[in-house]
Amino acid sequence: MDILTWGRNPWDQPVLTHISWNLLWAALFAGLAFLVAHASYMIFSAHRKRHAAETDAMEIARADLPDRIVRHSLPARLFHWLMAAAMFTLLITAFLPVVGLRFPWVTWHWIAGLTLTGSILFHIIHATVWLDFWSIWVGPRDLPELRAELLRDLGHDVPGPRPGKYPLGNRLYHLAIVVVALVAVVTGLCMMVRIRTPFFTRNPYLFSDTTWGVTYVDHGLAGVTLVGLVIAHVYFAARPEKWWITKAMILGWITRRQYLEHHDPDRWAVRQLPTPNSATPNSTTPNSGLASPTL
Amino acid sequence: MSLSRRNFIKGVIAGGAAASSAAYLFRGAGSLFGQTSAPGSVERLLSLTVNGQTRRVDVLKQETLAMTLRYKLGLTGTKIGCDRAECGACTVLIDDVPHYSCSVLTHTVRGRRIVTIEGLEGPGGVLHPVQQAVVDEQGFQCAFCLPGFVMAAVGALKTNPNPTREELAHAVSGNLCRCQDYDKILTSLLRGAEYMRRTT
Amino acid sequence: MAVIRDVMPAFELFQPTSVEAAQAVLDRYGAGAWVLAGGLDSLDWLKDRIRRPQAVVDLGAIAELKGIRERDGGLEIGAMTTLTEVVRHPGVRERYAILLEAAEAAASPQIRNQATIGGNVSQDARCWYYRAGWPCYRAGGNICYADTPDAINREHAILGADRCVAVNPSDTAPALIVLDAQMVIRTAGGGERVVSAEDYFVGPGIDITRMTVLEPGALLTAIRLPRTWAGAQFYFEKIRDRQVWDFALVSVASAMTTSGSTIERIRIAVNGVAARPLRLRAVEAVAEGRPRNEATAVVAANLAVEGAQPLGFNAYKVPLMRNLVKRAIRGVEAAAWTS
Repeated sequence: MDILTWGRNPWDQPVLTHISWNLLWAALFAGLAFLVAHASYMIFSAHRKRHAAETDAMEIARADLPDRIVRHSLPARLFHWLMAAAMFTLLITAFLPVVGLRFPWVTWHWIAGLTLTGSILFHIIHATVWLDFWSIWVGPRDLPELRAELLRDLGHDVPGPRPGKYPLGNRLYHLAIVVVALVAVVTGLCMMVRIRTPFFTRNPYLFSDTTWGVTYVDHGLAGVTLVGLVIAHVYFAARPEKWWITKAMILGWITRRQYLEHHDPDRWAVRQLPTPNSATPNSTTPNSGLASPTL
Repeated sequence: MSLSRRNFIKGVIAGGAAASSAAYLFRGAGSLFGQTSAPGSVERLLSLTVNGQTRRVDVLKQETLAMTLRYKLGLTGTKIGCDRAECGACTVLIDDVPHYSCSVLTHTVRGRRIVTIEGLEGPGGVLHPVQQAVVDEQGFQCAFCLPGFVMAAVGALKTNPNPTREELAHAVSGNLCRCQDYDKILTSLLRGAEYMRRTT
Repeated sequence: MAVIRDVMPAFELFQPTSVEAAQAVLDRYGAGAWVLAGGLDSLDWLKDRIRRPQAVVDLGAIAELKGIRERDGGLEIGAMTTLTEVVRHPGVRERYAILLEAAEAAASPQIRNQATIGGNVSQDARCWYYRAGWPCYRAGGNICYADTPDAINREHAILGADRCVAVNPSDTAPALIVLDAQMVIRTAGGGERVVSAEDYFVGPGIDITRMTVLEPGALLTAIRLPRTWAGAQFYFEKIRDRQVWDFALVSVASAMTTSGSTIERIRIAVNGVAARPLRLRAVEAVAEGRPRNEATAVVAANLAVEGAQPLGFNAYKVPLMRNLVKRAIRGVEAAAWTS
């Protein structure tokens, strides 16, 4: 199986053009294989969850917390779904023609790419200024949590740390998507110089042949990796035991019980808000106190 | 001088025929000059009808008619100018229709009548009327393009024996003359048409 | 790229006598197979060593692909019919004279004697960067050498470019589009598929490496001319540098019926301005029902070139196309040339 596709220039020198589309099938296969493997593991595993009694006790102890706890603010949710729409458009316009469903895709692709770029810029500023910037990143301080989570997965009842706002898996996924999406975005922005856009004169000689080849290969690698990552993401979002997180990305809040069951209140401290938050318009209990954690 | 040149050419033709019949000896070997044959593909040995004669010749699958005529059959009157269907020097008649022989695979004209400039002469070496007209009118300068022009004109005269100057110009518009001698060429070819009408 | 070398690199040559047998060979060799019709496009590729097929399938021995037949009050032209045969056919002359003019405008007499109408509509782009073997978009790469600030692109596209700015070189294509010709395709699976001439050609946005809808292994077997436009008022004009050999800089074809001085129905197509021959539907819509005069022609012609994006050296094609569209509506004498 070829990994790269080479062309030959008129001097018969090899020129790197792009990745081999075999890699698309490899990424699809890897994504689906992970899905099947994880699903069958979940059926047979002895994953250790917090006992209901344990959570009941905690809920009584923390009755001062409101019923609903804001997990994702409206701007954060809008960003997420805009980015998702852009990402799906990008993947569809990129790969449907490759698998044989042909249509004029280039204009849609770069418009979606610019949308993604814009939403990412917004997200960086929003997360830096208004959100708890560090809550999504992973580092050495997460090793105890990793160990505890692994042991729980193996069926042990361990007291170790529970996740803060984002579970470890979430944070690792975010890291992967940051790296891959930034590669795709940066290379994609460079590649816009090679096509016709209203912004600048097309100039395929901006970089040398080799640099362009590497740019296209990086863009392609990031693209097929995104196929695998998006499959995994959609899979987790659709899993029943993760549905409460997915719901939070739609509605914005989680219940007090979910908060206590899955999170470490010390690592994701909820502070009481003086007034109700309009971020939960669907709230059926308007009198219930609302809390905004340190986002 | 012209006789010895003709004899020389005939000698070359005989040599080519000998070489191609020698190839019969190796038929069973499955590989002729290193080219193997896939089942169902064409046979390399074929019969060509050139200038009224049936010629057995060993032809590569990728060989053009111009190459076969010049280098297998010794008919070097057909010139190769551009080898890209852009100049007309290689024009020959296939079933009386002018074609660029550089752009015809020899295997595609099996069983068809090919006439080259060598095939125009009548019995006893009498020049074809168009050839005679070219001599009389001194139509060409260097004459590298001559065989192509004459063949294109002879082919056109078969469908339109009485062309106007414009019609004949259109008929030989697929031939280039590097000497830019078009006016004289047309005059001589028109004279050729006139000679032909007189002879028939 | 006229560089004489010895002979072409070796390939296997097949001369099947039926379409089925031809497709069996195409199937057997897959990407290594090459379809040979008249050979005027093919042999350039092979001689220049830009394409090196393992097997060449010559369609010349397939009788069913040749000749012109009456069909449903129209004509059916076998794909392997030569352009000269098309030009000389009385039925074409009487009813579809625009196709005669277009075929007669192609290349040179010797080429027309050998080139086929199927090959003429299916031939590859003539962009020299592509033809010279540069790894451009059309060749499967990721660059267009012709659309750069300093590229030689006098003959390239002004409309519909999507990364690739090559133009379709076919002379008969615009004539077939205005005649509403139906292209009969034998798919790789052996089925028959009929597409209109307009849809037979694909632009680079849809598929940057192909000129037509022909999938690998599929063959164009015939072109059907329906009764629809038989005997209409036709206009064809091809502008080129030399009157022989050259491909069109811009060509235009139109068919119309009039009642009095009003344009009843019109179809108009241009080639040489985009990677596929363009049917000018907007122009047709504007012209239909209007008097056939200078005012209509000017409106239609201005509409035709809307959205044109000239490259470095082909801005002349915009007024050229505009004036040809004008002529296609008014006729060459009546239409005033405007720059």
